[in-house]
This record gives sequence, C-alpha cells and structure tokens, in this order.
Amino acid sequence: MQTSFTPAQLSDPHVAESEKILRRCVHCGFCTATCPTYVTLGNELDSPRGRIYLIKDMLENDRPADREVVTHIDRCLSCLACTTTCPSGVDYMHLIDHARVHIEQTYRRPLADRLIRSLLAAVLPYPARFRAALALARVARPLAPLLRRAAPLAPLAAMLDLAPRHAAKRPERAVPPDSALTRGRVILLEGCAQPTLDPGINAATVRLLTRFGVAIATPKGEGCCGALVHHMGREQQALAFARRNIDVWMREIDAGGIDAILITASGCGTTIKDYGHMLRLDPLYAEKAAKISALAQDITEYLATLHLEALPKRDLVVAYHSACSLQHGQKITALPKLLLKTAGFTVRDPAEGHLCCGSAGTYNILQPDISATLRRRKVKNIEATKPDVIAAGNIGCLTQIASATAIPIVHTVELLDWAYGGPKPLKLNS
Amino acid sequence: MTDHYRPQSEDEARDVIRQALETGMALSVIGGNTRSGLGNCVAADAELCSTGLCGVVDYEPGEMVMTARTGTPLFEIEAALSANNQMLAFEPVDHRGMMGTQGEPTIGGVFLSNASGPRRLSAGAARDSLLGLRFVNGRGEAIRAGGRVMKNVTGLDLVKLLAGSHGTLGFVTEVTFRVLPRPETQATIVLYGFDDATATNAMAAAMAQPADVSGAAHIPRASAASLSGVLGEDTAITALRLEGLSASVAVRATSLAARLSAFAPTVTVDAAESARLWRAIRDVAPFQTFQDRPLWRVSVAPTAGHRLVAALRQKAEADALYDWQGGLVWLQMNGEPQADVLRRTIAAIGGGHATLMRASAAQRVAISAFEPQPVAIAALSARIKAKLDPAEIFSPGRMAPDIRKTMQIAGMRG
Amino acid sequence: MSQPIAFLPPRADVLSQRERIIADLGRLLPDGGLVHEARELVPFETDAYVAYRQLPLAVALPRTTQEVSAVLDYCNRNGVPVVPRGAGTSLCGGAIPQPDAVVLGLSRMSAILEVDLENRVARVQAGVTNLSISETVGPEGFFYAPDPSSQLACTIGGNIGMNSGGAHCLKYGVTTNNLLGVTMVLMDGTIITLGGSHLDSAGYDLLGLVCGSEGQLGVVTEATVRILAKAEGARPVLFGFATSHEAGACVADVIGAGIIPVAIEFMDKQAIEICEAFAKAGYPLHVGALLIIEVEGSEAEMEAMLAAIVAIARRHGVMTVRESQSATEAALIWKGRKSAFGATGRIADYICMDGTVPLGKLSHVLQRTEEICTGLGLRVANVFHAGDGNMHPLILFDANDPAEAAKAEAAGNEILKVCVEAGGCLTGEHGVGIEKRDLMRFQFSQADLDQQMAVRYAFDAGWLLNPSKVFPLEGRPAA
Repeated sequence: MQTSFTPAQLSDPHVAESEKILRRCVHCGFCTATCPTYVTLGNELDSPRGRIYLIKDMLENDRPADREVVTHIDRCLSCLACTTTCPSGVDYMHLIDHARVHIEQTYRRPLADRLIRSLLAAVLPYPARFRAALALARVARPLAPLLRRAAPLAPLAAMLDLAPRHAAKRPERAVPPDSALTRGRVILLEGCAQPTLDPGINAATVRLLTRFGVAIATPKGEGCCGALVHHMGREQQALAFARRNIDVWMREIDAGGIDAILITASGCGTTIKDYGHMLRLDPLYAEKAAKISALAQDITEYLATLHLEALPKRDLVVAYHSACSLQHGQKITALPKLLLKTAGFTVRDPAEGHLCCGSAGTYNILQPDISATLRRRKVKNIEATKPDVIAAGNIGCLTQIASATAIPIVHTVELLDWAYGGPKPLKLNS
Repeated sequence: MTDHYRPQSEDEARDVIRQALETGMALSVIGGNTRSGLGNCVAADAELCSTGLCGVVDYEPGEMVMTARTGTPLFEIEAALSANNQMLAFEPVDHRGMMGTQGEPTIGGVFLSNASGPRRLSAGAARDSLLGLRFVNGRGEAIRAGGRVMKNVTGLDLVKLLAGSHGTLGFVTEVTFRVLPRPETQATIVLYGFDDATATNAMAAAMAQPADVSGAAHIPRASAASLSGVLGEDTAITALRLEGLSASVAVRATSLAARLSAFAPTVTVDAAESARLWRAIRDVAPFQTFQDRPLWRVSVAPTAGHRLVAALRQKAEADALYDWQGGLVWLQMNGEPQADVLRRTIAAIGGGHATLMRASAAQRVAISAFEPQPVAIAALSARIKAKLDPAEIFSPGRMAPDIRKTMQIAGMRG
Repeated sequence: MSQPIAFLPPRADVLSQRERIIADLGRLLPDGGLVHEARELVPFETDAYVAYRQLPLAVALPRTTQEVSAVLDYCNRNGVPVVPRGAGTSLCGGAIPQPDAVVLGLSRMSAILEVDLENRVARVQAGVTNLSISETVGPEGFFYAPDPSSQLACTIGGNIGMNSGGAHCLKYGVTTNNLLGVTMVLMDGTIITLGGSHLDSAGYDLLGLVCGSEGQLGVVTEATVRILAKAEGARPVLFGFATSHEAGACVADVIGAGIIPVAIEFMDKQAIEICEAFAKAGYPLHVGALLIIEVEGSEAEMEAMLAAIVAIARRHGVMTVRESQSATEAALIWKGRKSAFGATGRIADYICMDGTVPLGKLSHVLQRTEEICTGLGLRVANVFHAGDGNMHPLILFDANDPAEAAKAEAAGNEILKVCVEAGGCLTGEHGVGIEKRDLMRFQFSQADLDQQMAVRYAFDAGWLLNPSKVFPLEGRPAA
C-alpha cells in the first residue's frame, strides 16, 4: 500500500518500522473475516484493516491520538488472528504496539479510564498486591450490579465478576530429580497473575518435568513478563519488567546449562519471545534480549522434545481451546492436541477455533461488553462438542471461560501430569 | 395480420424495424412458430420472422462455444454438435407435441423462451448457457450484448434480460452459447409405485447424495399409463438419471441404488431406454394426447410441488407430472384452467409461478399466460421494456397484458 | 501514459447540506449505524483497489432491509449518491466512494436466515461471507459452489454485485448460475423480491440483470442461493511444465478432449514462488509453469479422469505430476492458490487484471502480457483460472513511485485491450468498477453502451447509485 512519510518522520526508527509494515498491506480485507471485533460489530473501523488505516493516517499526519482512533484501537484484542490470516505477512502486532505507545504518549484519557488503567497496572503484575485485591473482590462482589449501572465503572464490575470465588490453595512442591538422571535443565517462569489465580498449573508442570528428569531452576528476583502493561501502551514499564527478567535469567544462564525458559501462560510466552524485538534499540540489552527470546518456549513445545510415550486411550473427551497467544502469537496449533492425544485423551476442536474468547489480558475488564459477547460465542462452540473437560494453555482464557460454563476447564499441562502419573486435577473431582 | 417480413440479414431487419417505427406498425416476432401458443395473444400488424437468418456462424468445439444466427433450425445445431460429440447442456424442450404445433424450432426460439428441459436441474437453464447475442432494438439500432467467453462481467447483463423475453424486447439476430461434451453414457434408476409425497422425499434424498444426478422426475400412475412402450408398467415411476463416463455411471448407479433401497427396490434401466424416458419427460409426452385440456407449467420449490397438487385437487381435477426434483409441475386440467385457484395456491405454499401452455382461444384471452407480478416489479418491467422498445413495436401484449392494467390500478390508487 | 481516472464532480448542493444530511441519516440509523467523524471516514476511502481513494460523505451501516430502504428513500429524495459496499474486497474499485456519497455498508447484516436442505437452498443476508455459507452447510454434506479467492472475507451481496466466479466455476458456474432469488431495495426505497426457492422467473429475468450490475440497479439485502451436495472426494493434482506455452496448450487440449475437471488453475514461475513462500504447499519450484487440476467424484471416477489428463499432459512434455496425498495437503494447495494476490504483497504492490480470452488464445495473450510488461520495465506474475480463460496478470510495481504506478496502470490497460482483441472481454469476474470504466469503449460501441445505460435508467433515473462506475462519464444520456 502507498504511504506518505517524510524523511524526517522516517528517521524515527519506530515510524520507519511501522512504515515498512504498512507497505506490506495490500488492503485485501482477508483479515476482517477472522477478526473477532469485526465479526461482532460489523464495522470496518473495528477490523484490522480499518485499524491499520487509522494508524497509517495518524502516523502519516504526525497527529496526536484522538477519541475516535483510541476507541477503535482500544477495541483490538491483540489476538492476532489477523496475522495468521494475512497472506501478505503484515506484522500487525508491532504496528498496534507502536500505536498503543503513541496513544499513551499523546492522548489524555477520561479520568475513570485513567484510574482503572493505573489500578490494573499497579496491581496485576505484582502477586502480593493481586492476592490482596482478590481477597477484597470476594468481599466486594455484591457491589458488581451497582457498578455495572454506571458506564465508566463497568470495568470494575467486570473485575469483580472475574475474580475466582475461592482463594486458590498452594500445592506442595515436587522433589527435584536425581542429578544423575537429569535430561535437561530449564527455567520455569513463575509469572504473576497465574500463580495467584491458579497455582496448580505450575505445580503440575514441575511434577511432570521432574518425573521425566528435567531439572528446574528458580532464579530469585524474577517478576511479571511485562505483557499486561505492554498491551496498555505503557512501554517504559513494560521494558523495565523485561530488563529485570533478562538480568535475572542471564545470571542463571551464564552460570551454565539452561536449555530453555519455559512458560505455561502463553500470553506471557508471546511477549517474552518478543523481548528481542522490544529491546532491539537498546544497545545494552539488544543482544541479551534476543538470546532470551530464542530460549523462550511454551511448555508444550518443550514437552514435545521429550517424546513422551503413547498411553492407552482413556474415556475422556477434551475440548481443546486454542489460546490466541498460542495459535496466532506463537503459531503453536497442533502440538498441544498431539500431546493430549498421545496421552490417551479424545480431543475435539470447537468450531470457530480461531476466534478469541474475549479474555485478552485486561480486555475483559476494559471492554466488558465485547468480551462478554465473545465469551458467549466461545462457550457455545465449546459446549457443542460435548466435552468432559476443556483444556487451554493460557490463564486468561481459563479464567474467562470458567466464568461462563459448568464444564471444568484446566491447563493442558494439568491433564498431561495426571495422565503420566500425577494427581487428578482438583477441578475434575467436583 | 397480413404482412410477413422475413429479413435475410441484420441490416434488412433494421430496415423493417425502422419502417415499423415510422409507420407505427406493431410486429409479432416469431421464429419457427412451434411455440406460437406460448404467452398472451399479440396485437400486431405484421409478423417479423427470424427464419431468414440462418446458419452456424462460428463453432469452436475445442472451446465449447457456438455462434449461430437465430433462425437456424435446432436440428441443424444439434447435428453439428453431435458430430463433435457435444450437446446443449440444458436439453431444450420440444413444445410441438404438447402445444399441437408444426414446423421447425429455431435456436433463437429456444433461447427466447428459455426452453429448458430436465437437465436444467443440474446444468442450468437455457439462459445459463447463453453467452452473448446481437439484437435490433425498438429504435432500429443493432446492439451487441455479452460475448463469447464463459466468464464475462463487463457491463450490464442484457443477455439474461433478453433470454426468455419471448421477442418482446428486441429482434435477436444472433446467439452465442456454451455447449458441453455429450456424456459417454447414461443410466436411470427407477422406483415404482410411489405416491407423490414419497417420490418427493426420494428425489430430495437422491439430490443430497454425491451422485451427480442429472435428472429427477416423478410420473404418477395416471400419467404414466400413457407412457406405454417406454417402461411398460402400469404404476407410478420415479426416475433418477446419471450421466458420464461408463465406469463412473456404473459406480454411482450402484451406490445411489443402495441408498435409495430404504425407500423401495430399484431398477436400473440402460442407456437407450433411459434416453427414451427422459425425452418423454422433457416433452411432457403423457399430456400430448388431449389437446383440448388446459396445460400449465408450474415452477415451485421442489418439496412444494406435490403439496400444490394435493391442495389443488381439493378444488379441481388435474393430472400432474413432476420434473426438477418435484419443483417443475406439468398440470393437465380436466376442465377449466382454474387460474385463480392455482395461483392462489402457489402463493400460499411459498411462491413460484404458473405459465399457461395450452388452452382454448377464449381461455387464453381471459387468463394471463404468465404469472401476474407485484405492482413494483410489473412497473419496473414496463420501464425496462420502454427503454428497449419505446414505441412498443415488438410483440405487444405477449408477455404482459397485465402490466398496463396493473399500472392503471396502481395509478388510480395514487 | 494514462491519465488518472476521473470521478464525477461532487454535487455542490449535497456537500453544502452535509450537516443536515448527517443529522437526518443519524435519526434513520440509531444504534451507531452512521459513521461520519472525519477520522473515521478515512478507512472507507478505498477497497482492495488502493490505487484510487475518495472520502465519503458518511457511512451508513444498517441492520435491516427496512433501514436500507429508509436510507435509500432519503438519499433519493435529497439527491445524495449512494455507494453500496460489502466487505470492501473489490479489485476494481467497485466500493470506492466519492465526497458527496453515502457508503451503504451491509457488514452488519450477516445472518444466515434459513438453510433448507431438502430444497437445497440457503437464504442469507447480503453481508454474509461467501465461505460461511459453505461452512454452515458443510457438516450436512453440502456446499455453495462459487468460490472467489477472497471467499473468506467477501460477502454474498458483493458477489451478486460483481457476479463473482472462482476456481471451481469451470464445472459449477458463477454466481448468476447459483442464485435463485434476492430481496433488494430500489433507489426510491421500494423493496422487491425476485425469484425464491423455485427455479427461473415469471416475466423478464430481472434476477439475471441484477446479478453483476455492480450496485447500479439497487441494493441487495437478502439472497437465496443454491447449495449442492459435495462430491464423494476431490483431489487437486499439480502438473509442472517447462514453459507457460506448454501449460496453456495442455489446458486447451484437455477441454478440447471433452474433459471438464472441477478446476484448472495456472501459475507461472513468479506466482509459484510467491504462493509457495506463503502457503508451503509443496509447489514444484523448478518448473516454469504450473497447473492445478482438480478432479472429483468417486475414487474410480477420479482415477479415470486423471489418467486421461495425464496422457494429454505427457504429450505437452509435463515435467512433474504430483497428486495431493491428504486432505491437509489438498487444503494447502488451495490455500496457496487463493492467497496468491495477498501473498504478492510480500514482494511488491500490484494491480490485478481480469480479462477473459478464448482458450486457444491463452498462450498468445500470455506472451503479449509478458512483452507489454517487460517493455515498460515491469515484472508480472500470472495466476489464473485457465479452464475458462480468465486471466489474472499481477503487474508488480512500487506504489510509492508515481511514475512506476502510472506505468503499471498503462500496462494493465494495454493487456486488457489485447484480451478484447483476442475475442475476450475486459473482466471475467472482478467487475468494471472504476478501474476499467474508461476501457468499456474497447469492448462496446456507443449504441451498446447507450442501451445498457438506458436500462440502468429504468432502475435509477437520478443516476445516484454508484454513479462514477462502470459507464464512461462522457456520453452518458441525460436523465
């Protein structure tokens, strides 16, 4: 597509990168068809092609973001279904990232929006604060209907709805493997929101890896991967998180023998795999960040390298929900299903698997209406496969879908741990 | 009607039409006149006949395209195609038997009456095969529409508009159409003794199979009786035709027969007998005998055909023959045409249209041969007619005596 | 070098009344159905033919036929032009607006209203995507046949507007052959229904006239389409040839032998490389031209037809023959082909031509295409529906280089003239739109065009529907 940027504009490397991305788009419109917001709202402005055009117009004219542009950019889930669909290879992710930073830098949001975003950025990435907030939410839940009536406060109501009914129990840790039998050594991202919402996931991961002779390093000082604030356009905060993790992991890596950095929340995985790009202009970190990104793997990618044995078929139907960050962000589609099938489960693909469940980081809090519509559609498609259990690889999806169905939903790795000798996931007992 | 013009070229045709334009003469456009009873009575001063425009202009078997002048007899076209193992995909109906006419059908007449036979169900109507044409409009201008390639979306599709316009929009001088390879062989699966509803279910089930059925018809017992010599059984016949390579037809016949065995035992008839049967269905052989009985041609949704006939029989006596999976109903009335009852019933069962194919002179004057249309569509059609034939030279009244009536009524309503 | 294509000058009276028109339309379309903020109009300034751009006055996004009727009635009474839009995937600028026009987008009317398997029809709203019909009826063993490459995104309303084709119309026909009925709104707001679940129409074939009329006659809001039983099996087979000439000759001989596969698609070397890079479908990279020939039916039928085709291909020195071995592989082969245009965006900007030529002229036109493009210093990739002679040369250029963009447009015009001279037409399935409007005279005489325009007047006497498209601006009859 034709663009018109001045040489002066192009001297900004961020603009130069966006220009390159824009040039690839041929405006064919294929992306509209798989975009959850276009499918829901039916407006070009809420499609990837429409947003690309809005961004192009804003950047070309060096314009601060305005209410209209922000409205439509905010509605983007960053699910990246468009990127999977796009035949021209438009790097939509980095374009919308750039736009979000531009918005954060040039646009003053209404007060309620500012407060809620600040609250999210100050709480979610910090496990202690998040645990306290969840405890508070359990008390405040009766207020949700009241909050929902005031439009600017709807996100607070959404938060209360999403908060789990009961505090998660902390499971016990597994015993590390005998060093003589060790097949590999990995860092397992502890994460921020996930261990608070569902500590069982990493516990299952540790048990499973340990059982197969994988040693797990737990470097001290690691924090949030930065994805949550990154998607809000808070670039500096996101880069600070990234640098901190890179420092922590590099110390462990330099000490020797790390094969991979494993992530069990695919939303985090997509971001960590992008550290190399996020920090490409930082001379101190560019190289280290690229190394970390190269080592980052989704848990299912690593498990596939262990060649787990095929188990006899068991009588359990699993609806596999493909998290957007896995299928579109990291292009991991068949692998988790293959692992589940190898472990003896019957795996079914819900219709419209490419569509987001509406979770999308903080999207279900900030855009509660669209999110709820997408959740209904997703749950309907999942339930149509008549599963005994739903499996997914991202904590956001697990929370989102769990809030709208009675069918138990677990992380893929929890089913694998159970199949290969671990305990039955608690959620399957009720 | 005294004068009869038979131009030998497009230029001559233009002269006749310009003369008509100057003198205010209305022309009844005809070809071989084998469908002369089709449509409403025409109030014309002279006949404009296409049979002087004769001969195949261009035929490229390798490209499956033929161009012919409109007055070319159909048998000449078919002979040329046959020599190259090709055919007209839509299986044109020969109306002579049912309408009691003589003469030779022309290729122009086929397209201008959109005369599509049993294969219309799978291969499209005559209008779907028509790629391009030349015609002289009511201003005496020679116009070219469409072209000679299968895919062509350049400009408005006047070709479709002219196809099936029964000579009321212009004098077509040349047609270009797509042809298809003649299938190596055919076979027909026959089920005996079904009532109309069961036959409809069986035909729908067959069409839902990946068997590429190219004809699906049902002949109730009363109508089948007159088909003696074709299948020789005194019972209802439900027929499903398969065409193609011998090996393929055999495989599909076996698997389709197996599927249909849930309904009844099936018999598969060979190519020669199959060809005879489908020719009889195409030309409505069962309803050729009693020329004094009114004949309707009705198009409705396939599953609505038998319901229409059942409902109609509450009020009138009629025999039926079903083609197109049950959606094309040939109705022979044992008495009055019952146009109002029939058309009300069609509207009540979900819509469609009825064309009066055969009736007494008095009945033809009283009844609109074509389905009367809603006011807005009739008005639109009248506007279109006025854009092609502003002076109403061509076959006035043949397609729509009701248009002006409808317009008057609409005008009175304001 | 060609001049830029002109749009009609905007109607000053409409522009001066902009605020009032927006206020009035806003009342007709509650619930966010009107887009009018300056920023928000920009993404509607073009479709998939990005060479031309014009901002609209406003964008109406109705939800019902009644709302469409209200908008058209209002625009008709106030002399406001209307540009209908489906998914905006037109390759000829069919949905490009103009400053005095309201874009009427059907994207919020995307429901499948009824599937009737016994009568093999589906009734859908115009904003439904082409592919979603096949996806809906697929589990029951049916499909909707016309399959334009943009079928993932393009809408049925747009398909009807352009009489869209696709790879498989060699056997199954184009939109007009698979359309049984429409509900449409005329420019004065009148709602009419043409056809239905039955075959053929009473009276004139208005349905046939409306199909392919590029939004000039009315706005279709609902359609009844024919659905067909899926074949037992289908298998795309790749035939690699040393040159385009041999591949083209092979196509003509296959059809000439009376063999009609479901699809015969052609790709030249440039196109093969582009598509393989995106889809990784296993296209042979060492050949100069590739045919994808799909056969369908039972195993025995496919074998028989393939044997005949292979024998013909051998006579033309075929280098490789590879059958798809699985459903996944078959899907990849088609994904690569159907993404060809978009995938070309990876290496350059392009304009896509759509002329159709008689099969015997394929090789000649391919050669002329190459000569015209190289003569102007441009690269060209060819990927098209060979079985019906519908060519799609993709002329590659740099959109940020105005001189090269003008050359590309000139090359396109030259190629289309060659198609018409060879006995073909300007456009096989994409439509005339704005792109080929001024070339119409190469195919039609003034009398031919006058007759078409006169018929158009019967529908829209004020010439308000998509007014800058299809017919050359000069020589239009007075209202």
